[in-house]
Amino acid sequence: MTIKIGLAGNPNSGKTTLFNALTGATQYVGNWPGVTVEKKSGKYKKNKEVEIVDLPGVYSLSPYTLEEVVTRNFVIGEHPDAIINIVDATNIERNLYLTTQILELGVPTVIALNMMDLVRKNGDQLDCKKLSNLLGCPVMEISALKEEGIDAVTEKAVELAKQKKSQNFVVPVMEEVQSALSQIEKIVESNKINHSLPKKWLAIKLFERDEEVIKSLGLSSLVKREVESCIAQCEKLLDDDAESIITAERYAFIGNIVANAVKKAKKGQDTTSDRIDKIVTNRILALPIFALVMWFVYYISVSSLGAIVTDWTNDVLFGEIIQGNVQSFMESSNVAPWLTALVVDGLIGGVGAVLGFVPQIMLLFLLLAILEDCGYMARVAFIMDRVFRRFGLSGKSFIPMLIGSGCGVPGIMASRTLENDKDRKMTIMLTTFIPCGAKLPIIALFAGALFGGASWVAPSVYFMCIAMVIICGIILKNTSAFAGEPAPFVMELPTYHIPSLKGVLIHMWDRGKAFIIKAGTIIFVACGLIWFLQSFNWSLEMVDADTSILASIGNVIAPIFAPLGFGDWGAAVATVTGLIAKENVVATYGVIYGIADATEESQDLLAMIAANFTTVSAYSFMAFNMLCAPCFAAIGAIRREMGSVKWTLITVGFQTITAYLVALIINKVGSAVLLGGSMVEAAIAIAIVICVITGVLLIGKSKLKSSQSIGLEG
Amino acid sequence: MSLIIAKEGNAYSIRKITGNDETKKFLSSLGFVVGEQVTIISKNGENMIVNIKDSRVALGQSMASRIMI
Repeated sequence: MTIKIGLAGNPNSGKTTLFNALTGATQYVGNWPGVTVEKKSGKYKKNKEVEIVDLPGVYSLSPYTLEEVVTRNFVIGEHPDAIINIVDATNIERNLYLTTQILELGVPTVIALNMMDLVRKNGDQLDCKKLSNLLGCPVMEISALKEEGIDAVTEKAVELAKQKKSQNFVVPVMEEVQSALSQIEKIVESNKINHSLPKKWLAIKLFERDEEVIKSLGLSSLVKREVESCIAQCEKLLDDDAESIITAERYAFIGNIVANAVKKAKKGQDTTSDRIDKIVTNRILALPIFALVMWFVYYISVSSLGAIVTDWTNDVLFGEIIQGNVQSFMESSNVAPWLTALVVDGLIGGVGAVLGFVPQIMLLFLLLAILEDCGYMARVAFIMDRVFRRFGLSGKSFIPMLIGSGCGVPGIMASRTLENDKDRKMTIMLTTFIPCGAKLPIIALFAGALFGGASWVAPSVYFMCIAMVIICGIILKNTSAFAGEPAPFVMELPTYHIPSLKGVLIHMWDRGKAFIIKAGTIIFVACGLIWFLQSFNWSLEMVDADTSILASIGNVIAPIFAPLGFGDWGAAVATVTGLIAKENVVATYGVIYGIADATEESQDLLAMIAANFTTVSAYSFMAFNMLCAPCFAAIGAIRREMGSVKWTLITVGFQTITAYLVALIINKVGSAVLLGGSMVEAAIAIAIVICVITGVLLIGKSKLKSSQSIGLEG
Repeated sequence: MSLIIAKEGNAYSIRKITGNDETKKFLSSLGFVVGEQVTIISKNGENMIVNIKDSRVALGQSMASRIMI
């Protein structure tokens, strides 16, 4: 028999840390609310019959955002055998609000008091025994981080689950409320309504007019009216709405408990977190500080430190040591020349071109992990809210985008933390504009090839992407599908802490590992295929790349990209293969120029790229590849989160058209201004973009008007 | 008065939370209930960071304007 134990608690209270410690998993832990958006289950390390389920954090069992529904459905619908309720002891009053709701469900529950070390450090005292007596369930101290007390808590939960000892907890309420609740209970009983949950809980939920519960019970209109009259009577008596009455009763009960079991040292001055917040969220300094931080992240990982390491891996490790030695070994052992070419130019050249960027990507992931772990990321959402709101987006949209700068897939999933469906759809459409880790090599390659590794290139691409999020946000907001105010901003901000070295390294390695695995699997195969296509012609004879199958396919697509400044077949193929995985853009160049190199003296990929692009077309190429349709994995995530094929197609089409227009402007205007290109073409490009934007706005607006008039007539 | 015109660094007692919807329910689960003390830690334009029940919560302007002190 397996025993299912759910981990429930407020956001950022340490559920995932405990889950990882109990199951040996390495689920991502971050220092902001809403890191976990899906439930995850694992087996308890010490007893494989125990299944532990990690749940998204919630403040109450009434869901406010999409990921909170997951928790409610699990706790109420899936009948766990026991619940471990993790309570952040530094914030006990707020945390116990959820606890009272969980206890009412009757499921065997153990309370795990986390972060007690901080409580002691503040000089506060907390009496576990008293707490346990008052709440009527075991209360145990743990430290999820130091893995102290975690087995004791789990064993206690298993013990309770085996006894099937259900909780018998009710929040004590005023007489008036109690009489209303008893009446409702009687109504439920006399009507023989089927349910598996405690009667007292049902009565409270009906009193609160909980829509989900009312719907699931399928009450007749007669019963509904009876219940409603009980509620109305009580509301009149107490001059407040039913929900507020229950909320107040809960907090009154909690206040009582806290007064009994908790002794606070004197209320201190500003905490360190408050002092940091005063600086980093200051109305004047906030944005410059954020810009500086992101510039620093990209400067370190792409331009300075990262470039040095990557140059070495690319040129020395892969270029000379591996490629060179394998080639001479294969040639000396008389392997067929085509096989040598496949291995050396195709596989090593392509995969190596991607793996060469591993140091840069690892550095980026490391710096992002530090930012996330210390607590700054949550502040960024707050800071950006002021900017984003002017353009009709919520600051919360920025969190999916920040996560998206590691990988777009979890970024898109993080959109679940947005309250409003329109905000959420729009965020999904815009998230992949922010360059993910796999797009980083594209920036790094071109920054090195055409801009001499200039330090402004990588950050400027990043800020261009943010600018596009804002511009497209404005345009989308003016269409009927997205019109309306974004949901009001409210978000708990975690306490700052110094990131743990272990946590940050695990996080970096987890993300980086996925990148390396991809290079060894999907990109490996793609490189072999690209090599084959660019080495043979349609009659399967080995030819120069320029007359190969790949070139002939590329030449068909290439004219599409000609107005963008990269109309050669190589760039076209690289862009299209980027759909499989964005690393393929670089890998394709590795394969194509790997061959071309063999006949020339220059072995340098950078030099070959430099010969095929101008600074303007290179920037245009980067812009297009940053903004266009993301890789298939991310498109799949968009499909899942949008829940509709139509919206997926709209998203991908919108992104690709946007990318095209931006690249067009960069190329035409850039050429005219910097390279003495045609002014007329630049003007035409601007005109086209203006036309498209006006067109979108006109169509969007007219739809808006027609839907409004229909609304009026209806 | 509404929380948006309150001063940085001061503590206030919540008198009322206007409206009656999901948002109010969510605010109450965060600890924003009548009678509770709320301290303004910092303001960033109309957005602010407040301390409520020992936790730090960021509020947008439209959210803060619903909290009467």
